[in-house]
Amino acid sequence: MREITATVLENKNIAEGICSLTFATDEAIPVRAGQFAMIGIDGFPLRRPLAVCKAEGERVTVCYRQAGEGTRRLASRYSRGERLSVLLPLGNGFYVAEKEKRVAVVGGGVGIFPLISAIREYAETKEIYAYMGFRGKAAICMRYEMQRAKELVIATDDGSEGYRGTSVQAFMEDIGRVKPDVVLSCGPLPMLRALKSAMAGRGIPAYVSLEERMGCGVGACLVCVCELTNGEHARVCKDGPVFEIGEVKL
Amino acid sequence: MTDLKVKLCGVELKNPVIPASGTFGFGREFNELYDISVLGAVATKGLTLESRLGNGTPRIAESRGVILNAVGLQNPGVERFIKEDLAFLRAKTRVIANVAGSEVGDYEKICARLDGLVDFVELNISCPNVKCGGMALGIKPENVENVTRVAKNALKATPLIVKLSPNVESIAANARAAERGGADCISLVNTFTGMAIDIERRRPVLANNTGGVSGAGIKPIAVRMVYEASHAVAIPVVGMGGITCAEDAIEFMMAGATAVQVGTQNFTDALACPKIIEGLAAWCVSHGVERISDLVGTVKMN
Repeated sequence: MREITATVLENKNIAEGICSLTFATDEAIPVRAGQFAMIGIDGFPLRRPLAVCKAEGERVTVCYRQAGEGTRRLASRYSRGERLSVLLPLGNGFYVAEKEKRVAVVGGGVGIFPLISAIREYAETKEIYAYMGFRGKAAICMRYEMQRAKELVIATDDGSEGYRGTSVQAFMEDIGRVKPDVVLSCGPLPMLRALKSAMAGRGIPAYVSLEERMGCGVGACLVCVCELTNGEHARVCKDGPVFEIGEVKL
Repeated sequence: MTDLKVKLCGVELKNPVIPASGTFGFGREFNELYDISVLGAVATKGLTLESRLGNGTPRIAESRGVILNAVGLQNPGVERFIKEDLAFLRAKTRVIANVAGSEVGDYEKICARLDGLVDFVELNISCPNVKCGGMALGIKPENVENVTRVAKNALKATPLIVKLSPNVESIAANARAAERGGADCISLVNTFTGMAIDIERRRPVLANNTGGVSGAGIKPIAVRMVYEASHAVAIPVVGMGGITCAEDAIEFMMAGATAVQVGTQNFTDALACPKIIEGLAAWCVSHGVERISDLVGTVKMN
């Protein structure tokens, strides 16, 4: 975990309302799949927690949706050469055990971005079956990265490309054939709830990466808590963002 | 070499910079980023007798220049703090245990438990996010005086700081009430009660509806209140409210604060506190100030 001033290399639109921001750090910072960065935006007191898609040596890429004033400012203000205040790497990230060979990756919307990092990390050593959901064709991005998976199913809500429906529906149609040893997922809450109920009782470990409004990003302020099934609270930024799906209330 | 040391209620701090309660946990997480022994002291997350789960989420929102929070005093309870975190913190720097309760009796018990174990107790009588008590205690001067007296009677060895709410009729009157109740020091300001509305959903952003406003945008109000409070009492004052840099901290000290707390800026820049400490030393050097404590209360009114 380091507080750094990075230099923006590229900040571009990659799909409808979605941007990809690549910055250079002063030295290589190891980032695990599923970890995130807090990105400072000049004039905004709170940093934005953004999933890391790629980390290669000194180059780190995060992706974000222009959802509000802050992320719109991030898109418009930070072009190549700008200095960027960044805290990273944060959170626990995805963990795939040695014996787990067949990995299903199920994502929706901006939830695909932490999964891109999982595909990148495990593409060489595991068999990855990716199910990625988008609103429609115009929202699809990171095709090249997704295609590193052994199999890729793109799902769109409107059927404008690939499977018509959600990525969870597409995955559940295939689960008998794919027989995953572990499932990694991230996406909107209704999607994660659908996955949780579909996976219940199957005995397959499944993990979700959660999103929450954050304060410090390091586990100190207790702003971004989620409720565990045992009634306790966990910090999404520090204890997560990845949790075993049965362990959290969604 | 500037002398950054300040003395608060007879206790020496190596410098006047203290991360504010609720923004810094018990220090462990920030200690992964820098050695927190550089800090003058640490004000802990608000402690209660029993553990608390706090409010629902979202617990945080942003508005121009400020944030709103409604964490609702989630904490592991005073016993777990003593068992798991106190020794770590004490080995690092001075410890200010921030404490809260739902009724006056809670304050008495938690103060008695912490007496002699920490360097200061900071009484949170102004957390706006706790129903049944919290707010009510900190508003009226007679209640401020009463809870201060009860806490002070329970503290034989540890100095008492009373953290004042700014959501009051007269900050000077409440500062005097704390002093009458036996406070060794006052700290201010806690957050201003506010609300942010998501206009698409026509609902408040915070699950708790309202929350405490903090950050750079509140600074001029906080400076004014620190000035008024410090001129109303003879006990020392710890100032806070929107401090983002060394110059802000100096403003508070000139207004009358012996030490300062930094809250929201820890979220904007995780290294905010060490940067402010370095900035204070540099400012003093460039302004020929030998002892930073010489700055306290030096503002002259026009």
